[in-house]
Amino acid sequence: MATASSERGNSLDRLSRWIGRSWMFIAFFVGFFLFWEWSIVLFKIPLYILSPPSMIVTKAWADMSRLVQYTYITGLETLLGYAVAIVTALPMGLAIAFSSVLRRTIYPFLVCTEMVPKIAFAPLFISWLGFGLLPKVIIVFLVCFFPIVLNAILAFNSLSEELTRFSYSTGAGTWRTFFKIRLPAALPQCFVGFKYAGLNATVGAAIAEFIGSDQGLGFYIQITTGNMRPELAFAGIFFLTAIGLVLFGTITLAERLIIPWHISVRRAQG
Amino acid sequence: MKDGRRTVPPSIFLEGWDGLTSLIELRGVTKVFGKGGAAVHAFGPVDIAISEGQFISFLGPSGCGKSTLMLMIAGLLAPSAGSIRVNGTEVKGPQTDIGIMFQDSTLVPWRTVRGNIELQLEMRGIPVAAVRQRVAALLKSVRLEDFADRFPFELSGGMQQRAAFCQAMIHQPKIVLLDEPLGKLDAMTREHIRADLQSLWMQSRPTVVFVTHSIEEAVQLSTEVAVITPRPGKIDTLISVDLPFPRDLTVKNSSAFIRHVHDIQEIFHGYGVI
Repeated sequence: MATASSERGNSLDRLSRWIGRSWMFIAFFVGFFLFWEWSIVLFKIPLYILSPPSMIVTKAWADMSRLVQYTYITGLETLLGYAVAIVTALPMGLAIAFSSVLRRTIYPFLVCTEMVPKIAFAPLFISWLGFGLLPKVIIVFLVCFFPIVLNAILAFNSLSEELTRFSYSTGAGTWRTFFKIRLPAALPQCFVGFKYAGLNATVGAAIAEFIGSDQGLGFYIQITTGNMRPELAFAGIFFLTAIGLVLFGTITLAERLIIPWHISVRRAQG
Repeated sequence: MKDGRRTVPPSIFLEGWDGLTSLIELRGVTKVFGKGGAAVHAFGPVDIAISEGQFISFLGPSGCGKSTLMLMIAGLLAPSAGSIRVNGTEVKGPQTDIGIMFQDSTLVPWRTVRGNIELQLEMRGIPVAAVRQRVAALLKSVRLEDFADRFPFELSGGMQQRAAFCQAMIHQPKIVLLDEPLGKLDAMTREHIRADLQSLWMQSRPTVVFVTHSIEEAVQLSTEVAVITPRPGKIDTLISVDLPFPRDLTVKNSSAFIRHVHDIQEIFHGYGVI
């Protein structure tokens, strides 16, 4: 009993500390939605233009099963595209970083294609591959691939001069040097790429669905807007945001677990 | 030989040298960076023989090429002309029977102090378990035994460099190359850590090449000081510092110490660098 109550005390403590730290943010957040709610009445904004948050919540609740199903679809596209991007971009970045031939062939090509807005390919992919899951996954993949590969190249090419010399002076072989020094030293910069890609992933999925789809949150937002149901479009946007938050939160958590020693993580944790 | 001290044979310029005792030998070593009109003659030609167990300082103004010289001894940079021999063998690639250290430490942020020292062993394939005692003793000798499980970012700059000394020496290298290892520390910490460095050197007596621009530091730590001219760097004078170790405050206040410092100041004054 004593432990249970002290545990409860601890979590209460933690909650009150969290509130102590974040009350300004919470207040701003709540204030923002209250302002939104009242401004509809105050400025007499027609409901087919903008809906108050309360209406978004109630209407979204009524259409919850469809929203959940579409969140699943868009989430799957996002996750698959993102995962494939990591699995292919990391080895490619590594290969380019260590091969002078690839650095003179594929690398400049990648830098050029980075300038191409990947989203512009979406109509083509849809005409080639139809309305299914695959073209969306490819668009998400394309949007995520470049930041990951470019940051990975940077990461594996920027070992400090001191550590490079230290590695040579030990006489250690390529593999040992890679696993003991190069790889851990490269991880922080790799995570910069993972995070940036994570922010782009849902954008890719939503736009791919705008262009050609019969399901998913992008499709939902487009259809409901066309039907003058902005409250449902907003619901779709909130669910899309939730996917982005979960993805980004997972990446941040992975970063904390994998490189707790890095300055960016230590700073974030105060 | 009294006080259990070893007498240190002085290094000599190559003229008339018999070639038996030297560990590191530089002949006509020159370094030029770049080509054609844009070429920078960094230094040389330099001839010097460093015998085993010496603590030799390359002392010179910044930009005189003393760090470049150290990198070439480590085999991390090839000379433009001349040859370097270590232990009788021509240096053609990175040397491995060495410990190196720079102004910015070679400690990795993802390992603790102990982990960083063990990194040196792991990279060389030396079983860590076999030398655990040695790691502990080394940490103790630089007063870091209570910080073995801390990460580098939890330590002060001076502690980090002391940990880096341990990392550079744990595998008992024959040669230790130190490139301004105290360069970023404040004056008081520097003073303190010099003593640590000196006692580490006295324990196992590796051959140390120490790059610095502090005259006092060079005289305090070294058996020999190679005074290097401004670019293109050449060895102006090789001074044998014949003072007892450890060089504590008493030694540093002695007239012989002060005279050495003064002599070197005169040389640099002649070149207009101080």
